[in-house]
Amino acid sequence: MLGYILRRLVSVAVTFIVVSLIIFLMMHSIPGGPFDANDMPVSEAVRAKLMAQLGLDQPLYVQYFRYMWGVLHFDFGVPYQSPGETVLQLLSRAWVPSLVLGGLGVLIGAPLGILLGMAAALNRNSWIDYIASALATLGLTVPVFVTSMLLILIFAVWLNWLPASGWPDPERWILPVAAYAAIPLATYARYTRAAMLDTMSRQFVTVLRAKGLSERRIIFQHVLRNSAIPLVTVFLPMFIGTATGSIFVEAMFRVPGLGAYFVSSIEVRDYPLEMALMLMITFMYCIAYLLSDVVYALINPRIRIGGAE
Amino acid sequence: MTDLPVDLPPPRTRGPIWFAWQRFRSNKAAVGGGIVLAILILMAIFAPLITPAPPEGQLFLTEALAFPSPAHWFGVDNLGRDFYTRIVYGARVSLSIGFIAAAFSVVIGIPLGALAGYFGGRTDWIIMRVIELFSVVPPLLAAMLLGTLTRGGYTTIVFIAALFGWVQVCLLVRAQVKAFREKEFVRAAQALGASSWYIIWRHLIPNSVSPIIVGFVLAIPLAMMLEASLSFLGIGVPPPTPTWGQMISEGIDYMFFYWHLALFPTAALAITVLATSLFGDGLRDALDPTLKGR
Repeated sequence: MLGYILRRLVSVAVTFIVVSLIIFLMMHSIPGGPFDANDMPVSEAVRAKLMAQLGLDQPLYVQYFRYMWGVLHFDFGVPYQSPGETVLQLLSRAWVPSLVLGGLGVLIGAPLGILLGMAAALNRNSWIDYIASALATLGLTVPVFVTSMLLILIFAVWLNWLPASGWPDPERWILPVAAYAAIPLATYARYTRAAMLDTMSRQFVTVLRAKGLSERRIIFQHVLRNSAIPLVTVFLPMFIGTATGSIFVEAMFRVPGLGAYFVSSIEVRDYPLEMALMLMITFMYCIAYLLSDVVYALINPRIRIGGAE
Repeated sequence: MTDLPVDLPPPRTRGPIWFAWQRFRSNKAAVGGGIVLAILILMAIFAPLITPAPPEGQLFLTEALAFPSPAHWFGVDNLGRDFYTRIVYGARVSLSIGFIAAAFSVVIGIPLGALAGYFGGRTDWIIMRVIELFSVVPPLLAAMLLGTLTRGGYTTIVFIAALFGWVQVCLLVRAQVKAFREKEFVRAAQALGASSWYIIWRHLIPNSVSPIIVGFVLAIPLAMMLEASLSFLGIGVPPPTPTWGQMISEGIDYMFFYWHLALFPTAALAITVLATSLFGDGLRDALDPTLKGR
């Protein structure tokens, strides 16, 4: 087990370095720079000085190693868009809305999805099963800005029940949280239904029935536990996908979160911020997949990690 | 979909296609999705016949922002263009990008999946590591970088969508090839001295037709969503070409007063993606019942 984790950590590190290189190269091969004449009309001397100050006059590989060296010391540089703070300060400030809204979305959507999936599996081919399937397909296929738009049109424009956008007061959270919740709800409804149906068709369930166990005990003590494995492993990657904010949800609901910085950092060539955002997301996904695999092995002793695939 | 039964063998020798068709037909959601998709494709192809107005012509400037009426079914947009025409022509962009990108995904995914599945070992390892790279980078963020790098445009979007679409096809083909590699007929071909290429080309890829079709159909909605997302962010297909993503993004600004500008492109995109996904899911369940519910 320990050997497996170590080997995975090495592979995570390699993946991380390769991704950082690719992103760095892509980022710098976008034509133009942060101090182009049309965006920032400064004299040539000032421009040269700025470039030198930020190290942008150095060869690319020097810039890359400098940046990565900083990253190793948790120094992600200073964002060009807002030079009064460090990238870390900006991220920790902008992340709050994304984390609150996205996190709430997952924490509300996932249990609802599990309940819906359970109800669907226990009442197969009933109306509740069809509704669950329809909701799951809708949530999984329709892009999140479409969900957001429909929510705004229905609840803010036509019914006028809720404010459409904004951030600080909790009543403004309802619609974006609902938009975020759609994805975990759909994912969990689908996975739970499939996993439970799969488990219920196993022979040990028949044996339990034959032994005279009550249906309730069979479902809660045996079927649910055995269906939990896929549900646990999809949680972390999904949580990260949602809790880092969606560019679209935040644009639709005018939430001052991380999302806008993904777009603006590319647009204005804010290299340190862009690199930090991409590295952060990649790193979290790497760790999430690693943790999922470990958890998977821990709760399912039948899977022997480290053996042949 | 409706021309499938034409190819059927005589009823007594019922082949796998007949059974697949029976399974598909009993899936109402999939049939519905297929019909809607067929209608959308016909609308996209025959767009000039459906709406005489050109999609980029500002013919109705005096009626700009008009609400839906019998003359303009979906109203008129802010620049005086018939919105129904824009939506219909938007289907062209969305569907063609979906289909072309899915085709390219298949073209990249088949050989890589077959190689990884057949040779295993080092080849498999390398291809799986590449796939791992794709799994830790959120496709949309990478697509945004690539989109900015190449300044958007139709061809670029197709390229980006294919770049992220092949992974799924590759995994499906790899699994199928891996499962068939040890079968007797492959062993027999090997014993007869057939080369690896011959076995992959003549035996393993033809046996992977079901996952390939499934991978193709499921790649379509993903590509359409990517196009809509990038166009929404303004780095997709540039105006004045009508695309739904662009229209949705413009619609936000008018949402509170001219709701039609937000509603119709949103609904069009949702219906198209939903229909394609339902059709693809149904096709997967029909072609490979063991995959059901995944």
